Amino acid sequence: MNQAFSFQQWFGNVSGNVGTWFGNWFLAPVLLHFLWLIPIVILLYLLKLRRTRVVISSTLLWLKSLQDLTANAPFQRLRKNLLMFLQILVLLAIIAAVARPFFKAEGAAGRQLCVLIDRSASMQTREGEETRLKRAKDEAYRIIDEMEKGDKIMIVSFAEKSDVLCELTDDRVRLRYAIEGIEPSDSRTKLRDAVLVAHSMNQSLQGDLRVIVISDGNISDLDKIGTRAFDLTFVQVGETRENAGIVAFSMREPEEGQVTERQTFVLVHNDSLEPLDSTITLTFEDEVLAVEQVAVGPGEDGELVFQHPELGEGLLKATLDHEDALDADNEAILALQPTRTIRVLLVADPETPSAYFLQRVLLPDPRVELSTLSPGEYVETGEYDLTIFDSFSPPTVPPGTAAFINCVPPMEGMGVAGTIEHPPVIAVEPEHPMMRFNLNPSNVGIAKALQLVIPNDARTLVSTTGGALVADVSRGGQQLLIVGFDIADSDWPLNLSFPLFFQNLLAWVPQSTLGSETSVPAGRSLTLLPDAEVTTVVITRPDGTTEDVELDPLRPVYYAKTDQVGLYEVSYGADATVYAVNLLDRTESAIVPAESMLIGKSEVQAQRGRVRQNRELWRWFVVAGLAILMLEWIIYSRRAWI
Amino acid sequence: MPETTSKPLLDAEFLQRLDRLAILAKRVQLGVAKGERKSRRKGQSVEFADYRDYVQGDDLRHVDWNIYGRLESLYLKLFQEQEDLTVHLLIDASKSMSFGKPAKIEFACKMAAAIGYIGLVGYDRVSIEAFSDEAVYRLPAIRGKAAVRQMFQFIEGIAAGGGTQLEQSCRSYILRNRSKGAVVLLSDFMDQDGYEDSLRRLSQSRCDLYAIHVLSRDELDPSVTGDLRLMDCETDEYTEISVSPALLKKYKKNVAGFSESVRRFCMARDMGYILAPSDTPFEDLVLEMLRNGGMVR
Repeated sequence: MNQAFSFQQWFGNVSGNVGTWFGNWFLAPVLLHFLWLIPIVILLYLLKLRRTRVVISSTLLWLKSLQDLTANAPFQRLRKNLLMFLQILVLLAIIAAVARPFFKAEGAAGRQLCVLIDRSASMQTREGEETRLKRAKDEAYRIIDEMEKGDKIMIVSFAEKSDVLCELTDDRVRLRYAIEGIEPSDSRTKLRDAVLVAHSMNQSLQGDLRVIVISDGNISDLDKIGTRAFDLTFVQVGETRENAGIVAFSMREPEEGQVTERQTFVLVHNDSLEPLDSTITLTFEDEVLAVEQVAVGPGEDGELVFQHPELGEGLLKATLDHEDALDADNEAILALQPTRTIRVLLVADPETPSAYFLQRVLLPDPRVELSTLSPGEYVETGEYDLTIFDSFSPPTVPPGTAAFINCVPPMEGMGVAGTIEHPPVIAVEPEHPMMRFNLNPSNVGIAKALQLVIPNDARTLVSTTGGALVADVSRGGQQLLIVGFDIADSDWPLNLSFPLFFQNLLAWVPQSTLGSETSVPAGRSLTLLPDAEVTTVVITRPDGTTEDVELDPLRPVYYAKTDQVGLYEVSYGADATVYAVNLLDRTESAIVPAESMLIGKSEVQAQRGRVRQNRELWRWFVVAGLAILMLEWIIYSRRAWI
Repeated sequence: MPETTSKPLLDAEFLQRLDRLAILAKRVQLGVAKGERKSRRKGQSVEFADYRDYVQGDDLRHVDWNIYGRLESLYLKLFQEQEDLTVHLLIDASKSMSFGKPAKIEFACKMAAAIGYIGLVGYDRVSIEAFSDEAVYRLPAIRGKAAVRQMFQFIEGIAAGGGTQLEQSCRSYILRNRSKGAVVLLSDFMDQDGYEDSLRRLSQSRCDLYAIHVLSRDELDPSVTGDLRLMDCETDEYTEISVSPALLKKYKKNVAGFSESVRRFCMARDMGYILAPSDTPFEDLVLEMLRNGGMVR
């Protein structure tokens, strides 16, 4: 069916295409609309006062008359000053425009808008009959309803991770649908990724984006968010201030000599203004182990330690018997797993001192099942969780975690450029898991080290002059470590950092964490290890829904959909592993809505109720300045004062 | 718009008017000569003119002793100048004189022709010079009625053009011509450098001086309206105006003030002055000039 030609549509299309093209060359292409003033100026020039040319005998007396008239005119001085006043007004208008005047107006109409909606655990707090998330959605709906023609909105939800639910659009149906689909999460609140998304969008829009954060303000990573370059509004939802919850739950390692008794530690935080007087019930596999009274003052923590026998494999649950507005922190579960062995292969010349030191540091660990092969005997089998190569580069990198001591893995971008005599330890990278427990080998004496050539994306853990001494060169999910010197060429084995380093190496191996992964924070990923026989696992979530996940034969797969607290069962065929996902977060349990947010160096005050946005007025000042210029031109072009 | 002398001066109507004027002029001159002091010059002549009281210092040879014998009072005889007078006609032929309806140059030429005719008829010598910064037209002194045609032909050949240079022209003329008589300057006095110096130059001569201020009706009472770009025909400079009642009023006031200032300047130097709108009948102005003592023998 032929559609009638619509000039408006055609003009809109042309304007849109032209605007897009100009957007590649101008930061504020919208200002180019002022180019329409040029034909107006030309028109005014054409309509400029036309004077009839008349040749006369002499202009002497006319000139004198003009001068007399203007000199004696009562407002002559004022006329001269009038032009000056107008010029000052033009200047004032331009200065005011540059200063970006604004006023606060209700409504969020503002061309390009990014709405960030908090769906974290604290947003599940009940406010009467509805949750804070419901209120946040209602606020977002209201923003959409107040859209003006030409406005565009994008929707981003955030909790432990951020998700762009709807790209910038003016389609209200799509926006409402995106908001409707926001599911609650029991995870923590991290705003940084969402802010990065907004920042990226702001740059692509040449700095024309306004951001609205709808949240209760209980955000754990505000200090990690840098200076923002966009206008941000914080809309606060929530009123309830009373809550208590479990913020820590762990089983301690048995004390030396104690093999039958274990201790379980529970920490309760009372975020209310009233003291908490309740009980904690500890159950194992639904059997009550103990019930303890807990009394916590307002704003204080209360800790309980349960003594109980060794429990074995199963689910240990702590329940706070207290009704409040947030349920997610009233229960915590530990999925107790059997200790898993770490299969370690040491490929080294057994006659060398370094092989001796390595065996000495690895063997005492009860988790380690150590095998040793000489370089000549080495054949890649794929059976080991950790392979350590001492002064021997294999032809290929084996699966699993691998450490290369005094050699480099056979991979592109890695090599040795020479040697460094007596390399000093200059700096360490304390945040890396390999450097836990303040590992600091700065006092280690090294006679000679390899000058390592490593990729740019490698992480240097210990640096020296000329490069790295120890580096994490993990690639494609596979953990790889390089130690760039022969252990026997140093006094490292005599240093406390030596056994700590290898303890960290063992803890770094994914298989080792699996054994202690009894509690996973909501929103964090579950580690799914490769299995020789199973290629696909079935994950059953706390709400009963299931999901098939394909495994990688060479490296772990990380399952990130852990928004709900509860038990996640991962079925490897007939076998199954249970993971307990808990909230256990003090920030989320402190549900008092924040009155402001400190982002970067600026504090953003919370707004309640309808969003009030800054309405900028600079455009009107520019128009006023241009109008005054026109008026000045007209007055100047009139020679005689009538 | 500028206009040139489109009609020939020697038309029959003009000549008739001149003849009538000459008769009238004679009567005026005779009447004036009888009792009115006209000429500003009192010289030594055989022709008795008048008496006045003796004052200390007068020449005792001119004392009328007969009257003294009878009245016992000293009276001095006055005699009419009997010198050979020349009527010097100076015509401003700058481009600004080509404006007006009728053109100022046409009017000035007719005035000059009329005055010259009266002079020639009265056996006075007449010399004419028309000047601008582009050209100088000179007619050496002529005498007698037979020279009238020559005078007319000369005057008809005068064309307006070029810029005004009154002072240089007057200075030059005075230096070259020392004969006594009357000097009549016909000009609009629209000189960028002012009219004062030119009149001062003239006042240094021993002649009777007359300034005939020729202005067109458009200059005296302009009827312009609207937004105009006025171009000076001599300097090509322009002035942009938006005509308003206030401006017109101011202009007329300035024109009146201009002519008044010229008149005062002339009066202060014992010069005759006549404001001559170019649409005025030239005979009236000539007679007025004669009544005021011009060219009286």
